[in-house]
Amino acid sequence: MNINLSRLSNIITFEIVRLFKTKRGLLALLAFATIWFIILYYFISTAADIVSSRSFERMAYDLFGALGLSALLDWPVSEYAIYWLVAVYFFPIFALSVCSDQICSDKQRGTLRFITLRSTRAELILGRYLGQLLIVTILILMTSIATAVLASIRDLALLPASLQIGAKLCFELFIVVMPFIALMSLLNTLVNSARLAIVAAMLFFGLGPLIIAVIKHQFGQEFYLNLLFPGGQISSILSQNSVVVSHYALPVIQAVVLLVASNLIMKRASI
Amino acid sequence: MSLIIDVQHVTKNYGDKIALSNVEFSLEKGAPVALVGPNGAGKTTLFSLLCGYMQPSSGCISVLGHAPGNSALFGRLSALPQDAQLDPRFSIATQLNFYARLQGMSNKLAKKDTARVLDMVGLIDAANSQPSELSHGMRKRATIAQALLGSPEIVMLDEATAGLDPANAKEIRAIVAEQAGNVNFILSSHDLSELERLCDQVLYLENGQLKQHKTLNIEGDSRFITLRMKQDFPQIIPAILQLQGVSHVNMTQDREYLLTITNDQGSANIEMELLLLLQKNNWSYAQLINGKTLENQLF
Repeated sequence: MNINLSRLSNIITFEIVRLFKTKRGLLALLAFATIWFIILYYFISTAADIVSSRSFERMAYDLFGALGLSALLDWPVSEYAIYWLVAVYFFPIFALSVCSDQICSDKQRGTLRFITLRSTRAELILGRYLGQLLIVTILILMTSIATAVLASIRDLALLPASLQIGAKLCFELFIVVMPFIALMSLLNTLVNSARLAIVAAMLFFGLGPLIIAVIKHQFGQEFYLNLLFPGGQISSILSQNSVVVSHYALPVIQAVVLLVASNLIMKRASI
Repeated sequence: MSLIIDVQHVTKNYGDKIALSNVEFSLEKGAPVALVGPNGAGKTTLFSLLCGYMQPSSGCISVLGHAPGNSALFGRLSALPQDAQLDPRFSIATQLNFYARLQGMSNKLAKKDTARVLDMVGLIDAANSQPSELSHGMRKRATIAQALLGSPEIVMLDEATAGLDPANAKEIRAIVAEQAGNVNFILSSHDLSELERLCDQVLYLENGQLKQHKTLNIEGDSRFITLRMKQDFPQIIPAILQLQGVSHVNMTQDREYLLTITNDQGSANIEMELLLLLQKNNWSYAQLINGKTLENQLF
């Protein structure tokens, strides 16, 4: 794989410019900020009151315990318990949507023809992927910091604990979104529009398990095809009460496999 | 002379359709080369193969000693692909600056070079405009500007002047003529007079096959004069045939005649004699061309 770091960093930087300097990027940021304002204001900021109220405590233990999430209630900063439950599902879905146009429109418009005279296709795929990953990571950090601020407003003594939990959850979310963005990289090499890429992703997650079930039924054997689906480890990491290497290895391997597949397809594609 | 492009037995199929069939040619460093052919002849496919946008079904292509798409060609080969457009979300300067950075220029140099190429195509005042704010012609000139970034050794322009008004098309031709000493241009166009003016080699594609690869106006033992008249004069062909040294006169199209001149001593002043003949008969002419027009050479 031919990768030049200078060209790669230029492609990554241009992705950041795309988010912060274009009208469409700024509108997407505004929509994101609005959604997270609602989440922070109505759910997370009230989390402490709800979780610490005696009447709720028993019910929450029953409910969260049933889901295997009772460990979350022991966190010193209860805001982060709610933040984690929302973010771990929100960011993968958000990543599928916000990273749906990595190369589609450039391919459709022919802009890719200008770029590939100056950069390898592998650099383009990896650069765009890392650019999108960086953008999502920045957004994860922003929401985590906002949660820490909310917790600190309630009790300033919670700030050190907030920063510690916030940093840990940012890292967890970073690992979670990696294969989702890589999946969109792969779909971008196969289809010609962002909308089609989102539809393809929905079909992948919607029909995929069904197809796996049919294959399993037909052959009577487990092929571990479910490992192909990003997010398979989310239910295991939800409770955050144990750290298992496979929880990190699976999404990283999925992301690498999806990116290698994207590169192989792109390498042979006519643009 | 060094070889800049070598195409060996290249075939490209789109499913059952053969876009290029066993095309073979090589080009040396020098004056611009014209790529000519009817619609669907395979010109754009050939451009795309040379730029590495697609792989040939069979055969081998070498550009400056490398396979198309090889990173060694970045900054050395540039192109204006047909119908390719800049991103409508960024200003043209931002995009050209990005391309210049990808070519390895520093930020300062990239900005300077962006300004240089935009000035060349007359778009310096529109540098901060987004492509959607520009006219079709201005957008085309912006894409031509991207092909001139840095110091490319080969520039391929696919239908560069299509859709441009005459003044802008003339500007683009002037840029090509001016840069032709340093850059090897490969041009495709349906405007044969434009190619005739700029190029001295022609690749003629038809139905995916390379029918002709010739150097213009080298015709062997005979030479030719093309005469275009303002009106139709029925007696003109017999009268011209009376001139010493004229062996044939063919009417190539309405009011256009192709004179075949034998290379003997009597034909040295043939142009003077021809003009005197026209003056004597009060036949007004529109154009006198030394040689065949590209159109007459190809068709």
